[in-house]
Amino acid sequence: MKLFPVGLFDRLANQLAFLSIWPAPIVRTFGSLLLKAKRILDDDTYNALSALFAERNKDVSMAFLKMLSKWISSAKNASGEGKKVLLVPFNFPVEAIHAFDKAVPLTSEVLSTLGVIGLKGQGEQYWDMAMALGLPDHMCSANTVELGSVLSEEDFKPDAIISSAPGGCDVNSKIHEFVSNYLGIPQFFLQKPPDDSGKGFKLYTIYMHKLIKQLEEFIGEKMSEEKLRRVMEKANRCTELYYEIWDIHKAVPCPVPNLFSLFLYGVRFTMWGTDEGIETLETMVKIAKKRLQEKAYPAEKEVARCIWCYTSYYFDLAGFFNWMEEQGYTHLGDGLDLCFPKIIDTSSMDNMVEGLALSAWNMPMTRQVGGESMSGSWTEDVIYAVTELNADCVIYCGHHSCKQTWSVVSILRNEVQKRTGIPLLVLQGDSWIKRMTPISVLQKEIDEFIKNVVLRKKAQGKRKIRRSKKED
Amino acid sequence: MDEILKQSQLIENDYVKQWKNSAKPVVGYICVATPIEIIEAGGILPYRVRALGSSSTEIADAHLSRFNCSFCRSCLNLGLSGAYDFLDGMIETNGCDHLRGMIENWNYVKKFAFFHYLRVPQIVEEDSMTYFEEELRLYQKALEGHFGRKIDDEGLWAQIQLQNRIREKLKTIYQMREREQSSFTGAEILSIFLLGSAIPSSVLEKLLDRVIEERRNKTLDGYKARLLIAGSITDEVNFIKEIENIGGLVVSDALCYGSRAFWPRVYEEQKDPIKVLAKMYLENLLCPRMFNDFSKRREFVLNAVQRAKVEGVILVHNKFCDVHGVDNVQLRIALEKEGIPVLQLEKDYGGKADTGRLKTRVQAFLERIKGH
Repeated sequence: MKLFPVGLFDRLANQLAFLSIWPAPIVRTFGSLLLKAKRILDDDTYNALSALFAERNKDVSMAFLKMLSKWISSAKNASGEGKKVLLVPFNFPVEAIHAFDKAVPLTSEVLSTLGVIGLKGQGEQYWDMAMALGLPDHMCSANTVELGSVLSEEDFKPDAIISSAPGGCDVNSKIHEFVSNYLGIPQFFLQKPPDDSGKGFKLYTIYMHKLIKQLEEFIGEKMSEEKLRRVMEKANRCTELYYEIWDIHKAVPCPVPNLFSLFLYGVRFTMWGTDEGIETLETMVKIAKKRLQEKAYPAEKEVARCIWCYTSYYFDLAGFFNWMEEQGYTHLGDGLDLCFPKIIDTSSMDNMVEGLALSAWNMPMTRQVGGESMSGSWTEDVIYAVTELNADCVIYCGHHSCKQTWSVVSILRNEVQKRTGIPLLVLQGDSWIKRMTPISVLQKEIDEFIKNVVLRKKAQGKRKIRRSKKED
Repeated sequence: MDEILKQSQLIENDYVKQWKNSAKPVVGYICVATPIEIIEAGGILPYRVRALGSSSTEIADAHLSRFNCSFCRSCLNLGLSGAYDFLDGMIETNGCDHLRGMIENWNYVKKFAFFHYLRVPQIVEEDSMTYFEEELRLYQKALEGHFGRKIDDEGLWAQIQLQNRIREKLKTIYQMREREQSSFTGAEILSIFLLGSAIPSSVLEKLLDRVIEERRNKTLDGYKARLLIAGSITDEVNFIKEIENIGGLVVSDALCYGSRAFWPRVYEEQKDPIKVLAKMYLENLLCPRMFNDFSKRREFVLNAVQRAKVEGVILVHNKFCDVHGVDNVQLRIALEKEGIPVLQLEKDYGGKADTGRLKTRVQAFLERIKGH
């Protein structure tokens, strides 16, 4: 282990390794103590810790960090253990890789997010490295922060890259292809036909079979039916917990802290189908249930319930997630939570592989803008979430690189307003890089929207769903 | 050539008007992955949507955002403002995220009388080829069903043969363009493609014959350097003119309103015309929306550079075009490795405010490659 590493992955691995050597109560106490000694911390670290170690978040934060520590150390130690590290995008079901003994998955967007949350400088230097190669500034920072570090060749190098974004996101697909070509790393694809007919899914399942075969050859290991079954059964347990958390969100005031949204898909994108993933989700359920019983809410009252229809902002957890709920603004989840996992039939190898294809098909982004209509499935999912979770408004973060969602957000806004009567706010900002729109500006816009639009609409009772429910 | 230059600058050219006057339908499409042979075999005119350098996006901006490619916003603007009301339908392909968004918004705001989504795989392999064949059959059926026209094998073969002849003529034109004493400017070549994708192919074939004859002995001189241009979709004749006005003769290209629209398509004898088309269109699309074939795109550009004795390459992408924005970096690195000077440009589509900056950069590039 390098003492003073410069790459994003290596720096994160060091930090998480440090956290993992101490028992949880010590880290918990130490974290709280650190918060009291603000002066010795840089602003970025203080900010992240203050969100993670807020009373309502800290138990889950601990479980989440422990899980990530396992995730990242598995990748760190992979080559020494004769394993291969496969870099995957967030819309790839990691359980497919967990089913191999000799491979570990690393998710580029999660690494970027952790770098932005936990590293001094928030990963911006890696973004700049990518820009220095001439890559356009409209790349997606979710990938480019991490991949900028990989491209610098001073960080870890994955053994292969899997791309499941063709069909769902051009920019994600292209940057992964670029890294693969630039560094000479093999790349495997799972392309998504924009075809909602049975024909599209049938083809996608064939692609999944082919991908597994290619991976088996590359990894040098046949995927074992038994191992896959164990992983898929754990994935099914994760699915059950996902829906428990979903259901608890329905309570008013919402007992699920805002930051849990990030934790939920953090598990989905890294350790779904593992014991550590289950443990994190179980901690979330336990805390949420306890808060439900206590009718706990961070503010005096819940003012507005918001669905974030795509991503959230990650460069300031305290200024975003925590700030919102301290104003009484509940973050009911964002588009990345909308993966609606299914219980997978584990009775045969074929059924499980088809189940993996179904999971990939339903990953966020793939199931929405990767659908036959970019706005169609997205609209249905958002309206379903609005209805189920009794939301008062929808907010689009306007991550500048999401050209597909930017292409059709006007349609989503029209449909949400027409069909539910609730307003949709379109913001502009980069979800991972603060230099585009500062959090103070975003807070102001959210605040004004809720006070001037959402609350007025609520007062006027213009919400169509609520009215029709009453009529029923 | 004068007729081509004049007609290519009109959205609804005289040929389209004549076609419409005889009560025959016109169907729009945007992406070169759309086999026009199937449309024409049904007696329908395929029309490739363009913006012709129009930079107005006021109406479109209420639907697409400023983070979407300005070419698509300009096309949408024209569509929503009525410039394309002569179209009787639209074929969408999943060309890129911006293009999909443009068509989806267009159809949402102003429903097409006929709309078909032709799904084009992004990786070439056996199963995706079979899928694409099925997609072409659905596309054929959709056209037949809506327009009440039979598209039979005989008609398809006739169109395939016609496109083969057109391809040969275009290759002749490229030979005349790429030779040491070029017979065409890059702006003229772009105009040929613009008009060619907005008129019946039978008319295009005759026009190409005339142009070849007219330009057979013409030579251009007075240019400082021989350039190749590649990158995002562009129908901006003025952009090419600006480059040529300051001394860079565009002697070749790798554009989809250019060589990529015909050169890579290889006709292979098969019994089934749909199989022929599927292979021709998908196997060598040479567009960065395809994956796993960067080496083919690189070879295509390198071959053109060698063939046309190109002294410098301009790689251009419209702001927010991800597929070309990234691919151009890969291409730049690959070309520079071969010692070929490259200028990478990011520009706003049709943006007049950008002209000065672009001219300065091209001028500096010309000085760099000529050493003075």
